[in-house]
Amino acid sequence: MIPFLTYPLALMALASVPALAAIYILRNRFRRQPVSSLVLWRFHAQSKSGGAKIHRLQLPLIFFLELLGLLLLVVAAAGPHWLLPQSTRPLIVILDDSFSMRAVRDRVSAQARAADFLEKLFRRQPPPSTRFILAGTQPRLLGASVRSWPEAAQLLPQWKCWSPGAAIDSAIALAAEFGRQQANILVLTDHNPADEKISNPRLEWRAFGSPLDNLAIINASRTAFGSQDRCLLEIANYSGEARSAKLLVQAGSNDVQRSILTIGAHGQERLIFNIPAVAPVLRASLDFDALAEDNEVQLLPPIRKRVRVQVALTNAAWNNLASHTLEATGLRAAISDNPELVIRESDTISSSNSWNLRWLSPAGATAYVDPFILDHSHPLAEGLTLEGVVWAAAALTNAPGEVPVMLAGNVPLLTAREDALGRRHLTLNFNPELSTLQNTPDWPILFWNLLQWRIAGSPGLKESNTRLGTEVEFKTTGEPVTVIRPDDTTAVFPKTGGDLALETPVPGLYTVVAGAVTNRFAVNPLAADESDLSRCATGQWGAWGEETERRFEETSAVWMFGLAALAILVTHLYLLAAGKGGR
Amino acid sequence: MDPAIRQALRDGERLGGRYALQIPQVAASGWTGSRSGRRAGSSIDFQDYREYQPGDDLRFIDWGIYARSDRLTVKLFREEVTPHLDLILDGSRSMNLEHTAKARATASLAALLATAAAHAQCTQAVWLSGEGFQRLPNDTLAPSAWDRLELNSQRTPEQSFEILPPRFRRLGVRLLVSDLLWPGNPLTLLRRLRDGAAALFVIQLLGRDDVNPPEHGNLRAVDCETGEETEVYIDATVAKQYAGNLAQLQQSWDDGCRQCGARMITLVAEDFEKSLPALEAIQLLAPA
Repeated sequence: MIPFLTYPLALMALASVPALAAIYILRNRFRRQPVSSLVLWRFHAQSKSGGAKIHRLQLPLIFFLELLGLLLLVVAAAGPHWLLPQSTRPLIVILDDSFSMRAVRDRVSAQARAADFLEKLFRRQPPPSTRFILAGTQPRLLGASVRSWPEAAQLLPQWKCWSPGAAIDSAIALAAEFGRQQANILVLTDHNPADEKISNPRLEWRAFGSPLDNLAIINASRTAFGSQDRCLLEIANYSGEARSAKLLVQAGSNDVQRSILTIGAHGQERLIFNIPAVAPVLRASLDFDALAEDNEVQLLPPIRKRVRVQVALTNAAWNNLASHTLEATGLRAAISDNPELVIRESDTISSSNSWNLRWLSPAGATAYVDPFILDHSHPLAEGLTLEGVVWAAAALTNAPGEVPVMLAGNVPLLTAREDALGRRHLTLNFNPELSTLQNTPDWPILFWNLLQWRIAGSPGLKESNTRLGTEVEFKTTGEPVTVIRPDDTTAVFPKTGGDLALETPVPGLYTVVAGAVTNRFAVNPLAADESDLSRCATGQWGAWGEETERRFEETSAVWMFGLAALAILVTHLYLLAAGKGGR
Repeated sequence: MDPAIRQALRDGERLGGRYALQIPQVAASGWTGSRSGRRAGSSIDFQDYREYQPGDDLRFIDWGIYARSDRLTVKLFREEVTPHLDLILDGSRSMNLEHTAKARATASLAALLATAAAHAQCTQAVWLSGEGFQRLPNDTLAPSAWDRLELNSQRTPEQSFEILPPRFRRLGVRLLVSDLLWPGNPLTLLRRLRDGAAALFVIQLLGRDDVNPPEHGNLRAVDCETGEETEVYIDATVAKQYAGNLAQLQQSWDDGCRQCGARMITLVAEDFEKSLPALEAIQLLAPA
């Protein structure tokens, strides 16, 4: 009820309403006018000879428009305030995007419950504006701000809950920064907060999860093991009692393993087995339970890249030493045509794409012992210790542009340089005749590192199996790259150069097409923290403050009534101009 | 008589000095007068010869021809006649509508036409409708001498015809001045007027209020003749319907005039003087 009596303007405006009515009543009295004949007025002829009749007061439409306009102005003059709950603070909703939200209880997932709650919130008390933040491994803003539930419902399909983790704390920090400490923050998740006493009056935490029993594959790998592939499956039981489940492992259409696993309470079990390297996709699956997403993995054969190496040393003993070492790594290709790495004594520039290892054989070499200086960040020095090693080398200095990887004092033992075409030129200052390096484990490690580094420089994928949410590196040759995801969505990267980091938002088999070459890799939802549903809960922690809310809410609604009155007046003007203001 | 009407008669007489009534050839008949008739008569203007027939006046036998050809031949002379104008004025109250110039315009127009007729050497009779048709006193004199030109009848010209029709002269020119605002079939009156007339002209004289009804608002329209009332709210739709009714009425009179061989014209009283060229256009008036 608007207190008119306390607003003199409103009272004065209200007095104009009966004045308007009086004007219309007086105006609507029929004025008498003699006419030549009624023959031209026959369409409205009303006989008055039938005696007195009571005629309803006939008021035109414009009277009601004017009356409505005046009433709106009266209300506007009373200075009304908008007291409806819509006018609350803006809202930022943090959506837990981890795949534990997909856990099902009574056939309804936590995600569906949270979405249902959100819809009810919008129906009951729609915020003036709402933003969504997806809390995956990294918080991410979801679309633009929305004002109604239909708009919000259009954004929610992007809430897929396929992340291997939920960085809710980071998302809250982002929301607080984004909302400038003024917006209400709503967290929709499946577990309780770390600190259940929420002191932030703007934060409300709602959990829709349930502590459910769950058997999950939490680790899976398939690595090259000679001519075979070695597979590892790690299965965990996240329940308070021992549970059994049927495990089915298939390679293509062949069953590799079909067994009943019994795992104790909160226990884990590892399965390691070999399969032929030629076996296609390996699928391992468990029985259906609360969280179906972690019951199945797919493993593709590992990538076996080898390097074509040409050993062109004139010293037969060194040539033999280098060849044997390369063979021992298992990374050398059987053929050496069109080599990717050339080992020789000269510094001849190759016209091909090959890397070059120049093996210096100084006549007057000096034997060096510890301490050696190693750049451990360099790929060639990974795993090298050189403890107790005698390294005979010429007392030289490195050429301009060459970066030392290993040094004995100021004498470079191994240097690296990259030319304009991206080829690597390595210089090994090493005389085996006076050294013990070739008799230590560091020698094959050095060559392993060398070949691995070369493999890393070749185009294609680095690995064929990865975990959900991690980025897959793909080295391109400059051709357009097309990525086809398991959900049949496609991402195209035109004219890429160098490394490409591919996102893995959903589990399954990905196909990467680069020119005529097609690569595939598998992404599996392996996250022990997400599979452990024992910490899930349902409840509410924290609530938005009420006192501060009201002050923020109460805003003047005069403009609304003013606008409505203006619209009425425009309509009034139009009706008058168009001559439609009659009854 | 209302002094304003008297003044209007004088004004009309003054205006009529510039015009002469155009007499159609078919109307060139009547009493012996000073205008050439369309038949053979007794004037001195030779017209034709024809063979003698028993009963012909022996005074007009051309004896010279008889001497040459031994045949009796009679000389014919053009007839000299005085054409006649019957001016029929609508004397109903609607012709004296308040706040309009209809009454003054009626008087001026009648005076103008009578003066123009005099210039055309016509005789004239002015008939005023009322309780039957009555000739105005002194209507054969100059219009300023007319008397009892009072437009206060409650009857339409058609009703007046029923009570006492005018005694028109045969083969005279007849001219009706009225607002024509009464229901009914125009042919009924037009046929009576046209009967025995050499020509019939109908001048519809309307007030500006008749042509343009009041704009928006409530109106209690009172028929000035019958006192009947009707209440209407005038808006664009009603105004459009009114204009449609007027156009339909005018069309029915126009159609009736066509059927009777009459000519019709509509004048607005307030624009009376500006409308005189229109009377020339229908070949009613010609500059004197």
